[in-house]
Amino acid sequence: MEDCVSNPVGSNILMRFLRPTQFSIILLAAWSTVLAEEPVDFNRDVRPILSDNCFACHGFDAAARKAKLRLDTREGAIAKVIVPGKPEESELIKRVKSDDPDEFMPPDDSHKKPLKPEAIAVLEQWISEGVEWGKHWSFVPPVKGGIIKGPDAHPIDHFVSQRLKLEGLKMSPLAPDHTLRRRLAFDLTGLPPTMDQIETGFDELIDELLASPHFGERMAMWWLDGARYSDTDGFQADATRSNWPWRDWVIDAFNTNMPFDQFTIEQFAGDLLPDAKPEQILATCFHRNHMTNGEGGRDPAESRVDYVLDRTNTTGTLFLGLTLGCTQCHDHKFDPISQVDYYSLTAFFDNIDEDGKAGGGAKPYMDYKSPYSARALAEAKKFLDQSGASFSALRESRFPAFERWLTTQQAEVKKGFDPWKIVHPVRVASKEGSRLRAEADGIVQVEKGVPVQDDFSVSTGETELDRITGVRLEVFPHPSHKDGKLSFTDDGEFILTNVKLRVSKKGSTQVRDLELAKAVADVNGKGRDSKYSSISGTLDDDPRTGWTTRTQPADKPHRAVFELSEPLILGGDETLDIVLMHRSLEERALIGRFRLALTDQRGGAVRSLGKMPMEQLADGEKPEGELRNKLLAQFLEDDAEYRAAARHHAEVKRQFNEINKANGKLKVMVLGERKVPRKSHVLVRGVWDAHGDEVKPAVLPVVFEDKSVRDRIALAKWIVSKRNPLTARVITNQIWQLFFGAGLVRTPNDFGLQGEMPTHSQLLDWLAVEFVDSGWDVKHLIKLIVTSDTYRQSGVVSKELLDRDPLNRLLARGARYRLPAWMLRDSLLAASGLLNRAKGGPPVFPYQPPGIWSDQFMGRFTYRPSLGPAAYRRTLYAFWRRSSAPTFLFDSAMRRTCEVTPRRTNTPLHALTLLNDKTSLEAARRLAAFDVKEIYRRVLSREPSERELQVCELQRQKALAFYKTDAQATEDFSAGGNAEKAAMTLVANLILNLDEALTHE
Amino acid sequence: MNSTSRRYFLGQCSGLSLGAMALDSLLAKVPIDIAPKAKRVIFLTQSGGPSQIELFDHKPGLAKLAGQKLPDSVRGGQRLSGMTKGKPQLIMPSHTEFARYGKSGATIGEWLPHTASVADDLCFVKSMVTDQINHAPAMTKFLTGHHLTGRPSMGSWVSYGLGSENRDMPDYLVLLSKMKRGSDQPLYDHYWGSGFLPSVYQGVKLRSGKEPVLYLRDPDGLPRHLRREMLDRLGELNQLRFEQTGDPEIETRIQQYEMAFRMQASVPELTDISDEPESVFDLYGPDSRRPGSYAANCILARRLAERGVRFIQLFHPDWDHHSRLKSWCTARCRDTDQPSAALIKDLKQRGMLDDTLVIWGGEFGRGVAGQGKWDSPEGGRDHHPRCFTIWMAGAGIKPGFSYGATDDFSYNVAENPVHVRDLHATVMNQLGINHETFTYRFQGLDFRLTGVEKSRVVNEILV
Repeated sequence: MEDCVSNPVGSNILMRFLRPTQFSIILLAAWSTVLAEEPVDFNRDVRPILSDNCFACHGFDAAARKAKLRLDTREGAIAKVIVPGKPEESELIKRVKSDDPDEFMPPDDSHKKPLKPEAIAVLEQWISEGVEWGKHWSFVPPVKGGIIKGPDAHPIDHFVSQRLKLEGLKMSPLAPDHTLRRRLAFDLTGLPPTMDQIETGFDELIDELLASPHFGERMAMWWLDGARYSDTDGFQADATRSNWPWRDWVIDAFNTNMPFDQFTIEQFAGDLLPDAKPEQILATCFHRNHMTNGEGGRDPAESRVDYVLDRTNTTGTLFLGLTLGCTQCHDHKFDPISQVDYYSLTAFFDNIDEDGKAGGGAKPYMDYKSPYSARALAEAKKFLDQSGASFSALRESRFPAFERWLTTQQAEVKKGFDPWKIVHPVRVASKEGSRLRAEADGIVQVEKGVPVQDDFSVSTGETELDRITGVRLEVFPHPSHKDGKLSFTDDGEFILTNVKLRVSKKGSTQVRDLELAKAVADVNGKGRDSKYSSISGTLDDDPRTGWTTRTQPADKPHRAVFELSEPLILGGDETLDIVLMHRSLEERALIGRFRLALTDQRGGAVRSLGKMPMEQLADGEKPEGELRNKLLAQFLEDDAEYRAAARHHAEVKRQFNEINKANGKLKVMVLGERKVPRKSHVLVRGVWDAHGDEVKPAVLPVVFEDKSVRDRIALAKWIVSKRNPLTARVITNQIWQLFFGAGLVRTPNDFGLQGEMPTHSQLLDWLAVEFVDSGWDVKHLIKLIVTSDTYRQSGVVSKELLDRDPLNRLLARGARYRLPAWMLRDSLLAASGLLNRAKGGPPVFPYQPPGIWSDQFMGRFTYRPSLGPAAYRRTLYAFWRRSSAPTFLFDSAMRRTCEVTPRRTNTPLHALTLLNDKTSLEAARRLAAFDVKEIYRRVLSREPSERELQVCELQRQKALAFYKTDAQATEDFSAGGNAEKAAMTLVANLILNLDEALTHE
Repeated sequence: MNSTSRRYFLGQCSGLSLGAMALDSLLAKVPIDIAPKAKRVIFLTQSGGPSQIELFDHKPGLAKLAGQKLPDSVRGGQRLSGMTKGKPQLIMPSHTEFARYGKSGATIGEWLPHTASVADDLCFVKSMVTDQINHAPAMTKFLTGHHLTGRPSMGSWVSYGLGSENRDMPDYLVLLSKMKRGSDQPLYDHYWGSGFLPSVYQGVKLRSGKEPVLYLRDPDGLPRHLRREMLDRLGELNQLRFEQTGDPEIETRIQQYEMAFRMQASVPELTDISDEPESVFDLYGPDSRRPGSYAANCILARRLAERGVRFIQLFHPDWDHHSRLKSWCTARCRDTDQPSAALIKDLKQRGMLDDTLVIWGGEFGRGVAGQGKWDSPEGGRDHHPRCFTIWMAGAGIKPGFSYGATDDFSYNVAENPVHVRDLHATVMNQLGINHETFTYRFQGLDFRLTGVEKSRVVNEILV
């Protein structure tokens, strides 16, 4: 339920009067008896009731305030509807209890439910006790409270066990060593322990892992989600950016344990620091990670405002735990933040030297050369060389066969060579009513009187060719046409908008479209609408483009040739239909007379209108020089293995070139101030150009006032000031969440009035103060957490404890939850030994299924998985397209806006991903080299039990029995291994999918 | 507490994950306080903004005003997109002839002859209004109720609220037409995303081809009986872990793996439409024989509806006709006209139209002024948010009915405006959900599909 924000009213009242986690209906009956045991706490008990039920109409937002009544301040409340000490005289109580629908609060049209009797009782007790009012807890600076007994007592354990004692509970025993090591390794590095690490002592392991470069990678993943980092802009154009050096900056910052205050200041204002180093300017990319919109009709000025607001909202969520976005359109309904406060905060970000554009126009940029590219380039170069060598070897190995083939062909062509077989249609048809007449020589003549647009369809019938690789279209003039030209339209010219090849099978209801690779024509003309010209316009589904020969001679025939992507071998019961579509703007611009022909020649033969190589050979040309090369190329076209290798090598080359580019100076989006400052305004109802009052940069007074804060440096310093009550708590809470799966405040994005209270207030405050006092030392804070017994508890839970505390709010046990999807991918790479542990550099493209980008963008983008070692880099380095997050991830942050709340669901789609993703399968194949014991050690960091060994052995035997009888299946499943390997691959696939393998235990 | 508190409460008490809750999908998550008319929704989303002026909103008077400047009084300060900003707004009359169809006499443009043939089953809402002028924000608004990303789509709300009638399939399925053209308007995942709702409620995209759902296919060389065997062993070991740890999440995981296994059988069976009789392909038109086409997806939609999927959403892209309406817009009409009409006929024949709500429409309309030269065939129309037409059918929507009207320029709504929020309220109402009380608590606020501004069920179009 982590991503379902719980209801503060229910939880907080219950928290006080019952044992906190017994949210059970039966116990509600016991309410009245436990009431009044101790005085109410305004923040914990009362404010949530008021906030939930009253503030929307009687809160901070003056515009929404009804009856001039405000209940968010004591003055407002006692001025009108509350008489301190006298609940029975207080209008508030009368109203919430009233039977009169006109009097009753909250009113019907608010769609709020009547207050529960328990809540009313709290209000009554609070009024009788004198209407004590406190500042909301998170706006009061934290202090180290509570006395920690004994020098050895761990502060975390102290607070947790103190709380448990109140509940009559105790901490769970420590988890077994292997569980702890695995937990620690995932928490500190996002990877399972190595084979050495499963032998290392726990304390030693802490230091080892904190010092590991993988520590920074793990922490960076947290920060990248919050910072909405992506490798593309988002929105319509979704152009690629080269901001990834910032990602490496983050990793380095965590690895070098940069103090968090400095980390903050550099990201907010590195560009403004005196003598700013390039890396400090680079850091400000943090505030440029927002989406940018390059949509055609978009006003960049509006987009710019969006970016400014996004920075403000990100600051609110990530550092302050405030839902500032609410304040864009109106004063905050729950938290004391006005629209003026909000827009004053935006003013800090309003003066960036940007103009709202996207793509390559999203200035300001810095030129930056990444220190991490050289390694990537060397890796790619090595791979390219290997690929080149094996490709050349393969090519040369084909030469003898080519010679033999050439000899045969030379003999064959002597018997005569007929490059094109004329189609004698068995059926011609039109969609809109044109009358087509097939003539003797394969020519199709259209009769006069044609409709405005039409599609002609020609069934080729049986062909003597074994296969079809290309289609030729001839277009002829005819006396019946307009001026004896090519068509019936007023200028006698035609426009062919699309060509389709469709195969249907007798007895089947389905038709398949064949992919056309290329089209060439003898001439391309120019239509009255200039979009009509080239033959290539016939290959898409766009009727606005197409082929015309207008402006070229219309008194003689024209030709075009279409190449099939793959040769077509027609089955005996299959029919090929060739469809010529005329769907242009020009009326009746239909081809008037045409003929189709087919060929079985591949390659250059169907990519040009010149003589085919085989024709040249037939004409007696010697197979030397260029002709020889052409013939060799044509020969190799039919060699599937060669073609695959050629494609592979070409892709390796392309990827090398990309990385080579990344090795140069990159444009990284950073902050930079405009010379002439912009005037900032309140935006009325949040509308970008509805300027209200002018505002100057100012910090949120509710957090703490400091009128001297006027620029981004000062803003950053204000955020990490000791006087700031929020930042240290909010960040501490997010870090805690990394280790327990949930924060001490369960609404990490909202420390405001509608957020939840901390489960352990004193603990959160103690840690927050410690964090600041340590000099914002992140590793120190983390070490404090992982050395506690609280952290090291076993996650085993009894039925009683589960009933009592299903969400583990009391921390009476270790946290057990599914690992984030990115850790799952990294861990199977690590466990199988596939992982490429390199650090930093240009993004990589881990395996994803074909079509994932092209489906979405109708072919505008194509995902090309990395080949070679780059395919096995950590997920952190995976290219992130904002509009299409990596498919192997689930429950991940969207990276559109700042997110700090983990999602954790459990669906069949996740199961399918983990079972069938190619990377997972590769890992299983790799693990198949080991026995079950070793696989257990690698995946689960422990030995299997007897029972587990038995189950796995049974699985292995069943699988083995099958694979021994099926060579093809063995070959496919094990990628060229034997039956033993195939069987073990399935066992490994099983172990990788164990709940334990997927879980932070 | 709000009406979702029951869910909240269950979650709190049992410690079960939302995955587990989803398995318990027969359980409706909202109190049904309105008698539901629709059991399911088929949303034929036409992405890009189909032109109401060519297709539905007949304005014969425009012919006389051709080439004249759009009066400022009509335009009333309407923003233009960056593409026509600052250009003269000259009236371009409709490219189509209109006629009246059916007993209801609906006026429909000549590019939609098949739609015209089912006019008496359709309810046209000619006074749709949105407040976004660019695609992504407008489509996001049309589908999620808010122009910024992050809210759940309508399908997710419905799937969350009502659950499924089918235990072998997700509740919310999405079908994209396959086209050979680089689209200018990508179809973003968030259009069918679950926003702040748990991701189990997000739309699952069915792809055309061998693997309709990502990762559905077992690896080559792994036969189904071995996968079954493997899942049995996996279940056995996971059960063991459950006994050791007491974590109920493990039981949920076992069930999710089982549902995954069932989906591996049910989804390919469902998406392979080749076993449909010839008469069906004749009805939906020749395109329906080509997998991945809009027409084939319409047949699929009917199959999904038959199998109890709650929310089925088709997307047909490329309705953004800034130029060359006559070639461009007609192409998209040909893709969609016959299959959309066939779907209505097919559902009706099977007696399913009574409890299936069909919606046809895009994120906004198009402006009366010509973009480019108004008097050239190359002219097109820019985006227009102030009025557009959609149609609905089935499930208690008045058949053969037309609601709302625009001014003489098809520029402003003249009577009975229906904001996209009102559409959402009405759809929810037909499903038996009160849009005002059906909320989800996120970031301390109770969110609903229709948002905070006033919205209403359009009772006038209900039977």
